[in-house]
Amino acid sequence: MIRIEKLSKLYGKTKVLSTIDLEFKKGKVYGIVGENGAGKTTFFRCIAGLETYDGQISSNFDKLKEHLGLLLTEPFFFSKITGKEYIQLLANTRQIKLSNIEERNIFDLPLNQYASTYSTGMKKKLALTAILLQENELFILDEPFNGVDIQSNLIITEIINKLKYLGKTVIISSHIFSTLADTCDEIFLMKNGEIIRKVKQPDFNNLETEMKEFTLGKRIERLELK
Amino acid sequence: MIEFGLPLLIGYSLLPLIFILLSNYLFSKSEFASYVYGLIALGLISKLSEPKRNDFLKSIFSKRSYLKLRVVENLIYSIPFLFFMAYKGLFVFVLFLSALAISIALFNFSTNLNFTLPTPFGKKPFEFIVGFRKTFFLFPIAYFLTYISISVGNFNLGIFSMLLIGIVCFSYYSKIENEYFVWNFNLSSKEFLFEKIKTCLIYFTLLTLPIIIALSIFFFNEIDILIVFFLLCYIYLVTIIFAKYSAFPNEMNLTQGIFIAVGFIFPPFLFVFIPLFYSQSIKRLNTVLE
Repeated sequence: MIRIEKLSKLYGKTKVLSTIDLEFKKGKVYGIVGENGAGKTTFFRCIAGLETYDGQISSNFDKLKEHLGLLLTEPFFFSKITGKEYIQLLANTRQIKLSNIEERNIFDLPLNQYASTYSTGMKKKLALTAILLQENELFILDEPFNGVDIQSNLIITEIINKLKYLGKTVIISSHIFSTLADTCDEIFLMKNGEIIRKVKQPDFNNLETEMKEFTLGKRIERLELK
Repeated sequence: MIEFGLPLLIGYSLLPLIFILLSNYLFSKSEFASYVYGLIALGLISKLSEPKRNDFLKSIFSKRSYLKLRVVENLIYSIPFLFFMAYKGLFVFVLFLSALAISIALFNFSTNLNFTLPTPFGKKPFEFIVGFRKTFFLFPIAYFLTYISISVGNFNLGIFSMLLIGIVCFSYYSKIENEYFVWNFNLSSKEFLFEKIKTCLIYFTLLTLPIIIALSIFFFNEIDILIVFFLLCYIYLVTIIFAKYSAFPNEMNLTQGIFIAVGFIFPPFLFVFIPLFYSQSIKRLNTVLE
């Protein structure tokens, strides 16, 4: 479980996150939605301990980061590291001894090729595979569906369901509402660094409609398309 | 310059002076200075051959303009070295370096190679996996130099071949990794640094082992000098690891670079710099690891 109390973050004088209070429970999947620049990535980086912040983040682990798998929006790869070596390196950081990497390559990635030559979607899948094999208890997946093909989309959705079944906590951000609705127990709507709505599963449909109205408004009409 | 607290104008005026002083020092210390000098120059020039950068240049310039630009760039980079070598009367080296600078510019690197070079550094650390793939050709050269040193009975050349491997391994630690890679470790800052040092020294030892064994057998009387240089390599490698993380998550800055250069020229200073870099590294790493 992760408890977040009065989390705020300033970049200079700009407030990026504003007094966020949330709780992420074991065996649940949470979604964070919000437009670009809403503060989702900063929020994730604060939980991971990659940013300093005001407020408190506590968990039932001694060191949260040691049990946390973090999928970045744009995973970084060295120029001469193969996919297999990347997975191995990330497992080593947590002292995990890996076997059958090829067998566990469920996205059929070319593991013996340099990861830096992979496409955006392949990089994402590789980074996801690597954090899954780290045997984490919590997962933060920042835009896991970005740039990923439809088949892999399905696989990732199933992976999230499986993680939930295994009692892991998963926090996802995504612009694709349907994928969140398929996997999440609760969705938080973030705007300008604040959580403005908390929606439980039965109300997902209403949230989607609301978001559509809120996001679109009269924007398309303003284009005056003929 | 600014980070070091020097006004830009003074800093840039001092640079040629520092360059001349360091060059003089190198040539006064070693009979193989011209080779080391050439290697340093090539190392600098090769920085301009970075595939992504060149792909970008190729995309905006015509083939002819691109080649002109690259040749001019490489020659500009090598000018200080060429002048100094000419001043020293090393005209063959001047010609050789100029030719290499031009040919490196003509060489067409590709970023889309699918060939994966096997590495003996299988699982960890990334520095040696990446570094080995970038500099693999230098190892046979170093071993060949050892062979030459034994066959002509030149111990200094043998020491140089060991130092060459030391410099190559040193270069593996000159660039900082993305903070994500550090963040992933479930080690304390101290454990993280010692793990880095342990693997670095083990791999360096393994790479230099053939040279050390060969030199110990064929130049047994000078084994004490060999041990001193070997230990110096250890100290420099430890220094670069600490220096690298003392600026984490940023790249090393000019201050650290100058400290390292001073440490190279006056090794006793390292006893001051190493603890300094170490304490800074712990502080920097704590922000992500603790």
